[in-house]
Amino acid sequence: MEDRLKELQRQKKLQAWLVAAAIAAFTVWSSVETGFSFSELFKGGSEIFRFIFFDFLPPDFSKVKNLIGPALDTIYISFVAMIVGAFMSMVLAFFAATTTAPSKMIQVVVRAFSSVMRNIPTLIWAILLVFAYGLGTTVGCIALIITSIGTLTRAYAEILEEIDMGQVEAIRATGASYSQVLGQAVMPQFMPGFIGWSLYKLELNIRASTIIGMVGGGGLGYAIQKGIKLFQYQEVSLAIIMVILIVLMTEWTTSKVRERII
Amino acid sequence: MSALLEIRNLKKTYTDGTTALQGVDFKVNRGEFVVIIGSSGAGKSTLLRCINQLVQPSEGAVLFNNVDTTKASSSQVRKLRREVGMIFQSFNLIERVSVLRNVLNGRLGYMNPITGTLGLFSKRDVAEAKKILLRLGLNQQIYKRADELSGGQQQRVGIARALSQQPMLILADEPIASLDPLTSESIMNHLHSICREDGITCIVNLHQVDVAKKYATRIIGIHKGTVAFDGRPDELSEEIIQHIYQK
Repeated sequence: MEDRLKELQRQKKLQAWLVAAAIAAFTVWSSVETGFSFSELFKGGSEIFRFIFFDFLPPDFSKVKNLIGPALDTIYISFVAMIVGAFMSMVLAFFAATTTAPSKMIQVVVRAFSSVMRNIPTLIWAILLVFAYGLGTTVGCIALIITSIGTLTRAYAEILEEIDMGQVEAIRATGASYSQVLGQAVMPQFMPGFIGWSLYKLELNIRASTIIGMVGGGGLGYAIQKGIKLFQYQEVSLAIIMVILIVLMTEWTTSKVRERII
Repeated sequence: MSALLEIRNLKKTYTDGTTALQGVDFKVNRGEFVVIIGSSGAGKSTLLRCINQLVQPSEGAVLFNNVDTTKASSSQVRKLRREVGMIFQSFNLIERVSVLRNVLNGRLGYMNPITGTLGLFSKRDVAEAKKILLRLGLNQQIYKRADELSGGQQQRVGIARALSQQPMLILADEPIASLDPLTSESIMNHLHSICREDGITCIVNLHQVDVAKKYATRIIGIHKGTVAFDGRPDELSEEIIQHIYQK
């Protein structure tokens, strides 16, 4: 018995060493392949330092007027995409959740659809859409709606699958129809999660909208991209500060709203 | 007087192969207070749910008011369900909405799809719901959220929801199984006296034989999905009880 235990412990130890060695080997291999080294990191570090402090700073606050428009665009795009995405996802989620889906077939189709929407990154959608719609906020908006549908359908469906079926049964027992059951038994349980996830998606949209702006989706991202190309770094740094401010403001507002409602 | 409810050769086997009911027959007349006893898993819950079609029976017939509910269309089933109030062991209130709204939910079967879905209840329904809550001693709790209430209060809301349907029949599935003895007694008193006063027929599933004997006009014992006893409470002997509760 004692021997067997020792043997097992030795095996465990050996396994741990093997895993550690494998990780180390993979790290070395990857860094060699990509030419990564710490000296390189420091060289680049000093370059970044110089770039930020001499080219970017101080931000050119006289350009605020030019950037207010794009900043508002960023907020509009994210908000519209969240609202449209949330309502379309809500409808889809009812078909995607086991508890509310009318048939298994529809459930599988909706799930596959939302998975495709979700797993293609927003950036790729934006690049594709630029070909169809040209540069501008429409592209940013549609790209964000598509990924919002992908993420939110799944999130909402999971909320719907966790609802208390006892409450649903009780409402069915009163003689309520399918839509009445959805309205009176499912919705009250669904609302807190629905609001929470939608607000979180708004935050994600604001962050993502700056990235898709860079490939032509409009808003602050587009202004940043343009500024970099024209070497107007001090305007770019102002735009970045505005992005950070907008993100912080949304986080603050959404957390307040969440506290109020939930 | 014709029977309000007649159950003929009712059988239910679930899709996973469990047999819950294997041939149940009985009739219930208007005004009866029937208590169904039996051990856990004997098929009591399934039996109640077959009556209002929350569970689809595999075989047999359930005649409610001379209509076979097992052959009814979905709109007929809805009409039938609104005549049958149901009370649950875990109350099954909509926790996040007010007590009043929970009671109003009992009106859904009478409303059109749109107003029902949006929860636009009429003034008359609201007034009626408040009256019912007053009757159950819940007038202080009308605007509270349902999950703020104690267990006993929640079950009284459950009774109020069933009453707002203005039902002919109330089905109560273990209404006191998650309550303490004192609260249990008060709930049973409420249920019993209301059914008496309003002439509502009632079928209650219970674990406790002593409670069954106290309130029932008739007791039905279910053992392994069949009727093992059907008679007056005083006919229920120790021997029969043992038979009903044996594994």
